[in-house]
Amino acid sequence: MKCESCNKKLATVHLTEIVDNEKKERHFCEDCAQNVTNHFPKAPSPSDILTSLINQVSPEIREMSKTTCPVCGLSYLEFRSQGRLGCPMDYNVFKKGLLPLIERMHGSSQHVGKVPANAGVEIIKKNELIQLRKELNEAVEKEDYEKAAELRDKIYELSGNVEDGD
Amino acid sequence: MEIKDLSDKTGEWLRGTGKESDIVISSRIRLARNIAGFPFLSRSNLKQRKEIESLLRKTIVESDITKDISYVNLNNATPVDKLLLVERHLISKEHAEGEGDRGVAFGKSETISLMINEEDHLRVQVIRSGFELKNTWETTDEIDNILGESLNFAFSARFGYLTACPTNVGTGMRVSVMVHLPALGMTKHIEKVFNAVGKLGLVVRGLYGEGTKVSGDLYQISNQFALGKSEKEIISIIESVIPRITSYERMARKALVLESKDQLEDRVWRSYGMLKAARMITSEEILQLLSQVRMGVNIGLIDDIEMQTLNELFVLTLPGHLQKLQGCELDSTQRNIIRASYVRKRLDGL
Repeated sequence: MKCESCNKKLATVHLTEIVDNEKKERHFCEDCAQNVTNHFPKAPSPSDILTSLINQVSPEIREMSKTTCPVCGLSYLEFRSQGRLGCPMDYNVFKKGLLPLIERMHGSSQHVGKVPANAGVEIIKKNELIQLRKELNEAVEKEDYEKAAELRDKIYELSGNVEDGD
Repeated sequence: MEIKDLSDKTGEWLRGTGKESDIVISSRIRLARNIAGFPFLSRSNLKQRKEIESLLRKTIVESDITKDISYVNLNNATPVDKLLLVERHLISKEHAEGEGDRGVAFGKSETISLMINEEDHLRVQVIRSGFELKNTWETTDEIDNILGESLNFAFSARFGYLTACPTNVGTGMRVSVMVHLPALGMTKHIEKVFNAVGKLGLVVRGLYGEGTKVSGDLYQISNQFALGKSEKEIISIIESVIPRITSYERMARKALVLESKDQLEDRVWRSYGMLKAARMITSEEILQLLSQVRMGVNIGLIDDIEMQTLNELFVLTLPGHLQKLQGCELDSTQRNIIRASYVRKRLDGL
């Protein structure tokens, strides 16, 4: 059988190509085969294989795997393998991936504790509001309506000039 | 004060005073803080690390947090000195084993310790004798406020204080109460305590924190979550759990006295005899012996040892302390001999 590309030399390389579910036999001489296989897609690298393995384990990593912090240069995958973040900005950059992790670790993802004195009036008010709302829920659950009313007034007073949300 | 002055005395938290001090050895609170504008330590270069260390050291030394503050540069401390500081709970194992510019500042009474460049830029630790979480928190909070006046801590409204490891984010707080539970250990009820504590989001650790072995029936009970609850809420959860554990331990002790008095007494007195007469004691064995004798004092069997002496011996007979006391490095056989002779001396032994 002659090479189907140059049609001169003997075909010694036999390839099976599958395109759109159709099998096709191809026959080349050694020289022509070299050219053809160079155009084949490359085999995945070990790191690609690893990434795809991780992807199967945790979907959050698949989404975040290409994210790298512009400030400290840490990639999300590096964080997942070392367990340590690189800079305060990472909490923003990796937020999507971190949220479920933080939820699992702490049972919550909203800080309600101490706020540094120099954090700015807005942040202090915002966190106070979050704490008050939490207390309000607890008061309602305990059917302590007097306390709930008191808390509701406080919330109303505070929230007048604070924008809510994240 | 220098490290050599530490080896034959101990910090105030080993005095054996404070609430429930028959069972609760100490109450400890630590806060994790990082300075805004710097990467966390794993991403800091040598220059940044140095800058952080010097900024924090200067701020701490110049502040009036505590009198007689000492600073130890861990980068050029000897292995024995670092071991001694770990044994006294002034630094963590990770801090001792770390690299680069880092150090620890502590007051004379050793109640306060400020670790620079541990896992986070700053770890504030306050430790007191007995079950004293309220006082301990007040001091911790105050130090944090003083330092917060001149330092800008990394903080977000959503996640709170930002830390290198997301397990600490939020309050950055870990509360650890060290308890001595020999009777629960002997009667195998300790597993039940672990399970109950776990359901409340608390964890039980060994003597030297995360990943360390339990020895001498000493356990540390601490919070696992640091976010979503305020500092006071976290403290009150632990505050409500500890008295249940201590009364459980007391019940187990009573039951032992009632049901197997002879065996119990024999065990306690044998241990006391060993401490007073043995010529070689390993570090593992001494913790067991001290634990038995400590319980013997608590249930009124032994009345000629101060609780403080016993508490101190738990620390003073550790390898770093013995080597510092002796002024040279010792192999384990030498340590076992020195340990036994040191204990005999302290207990007026044979």
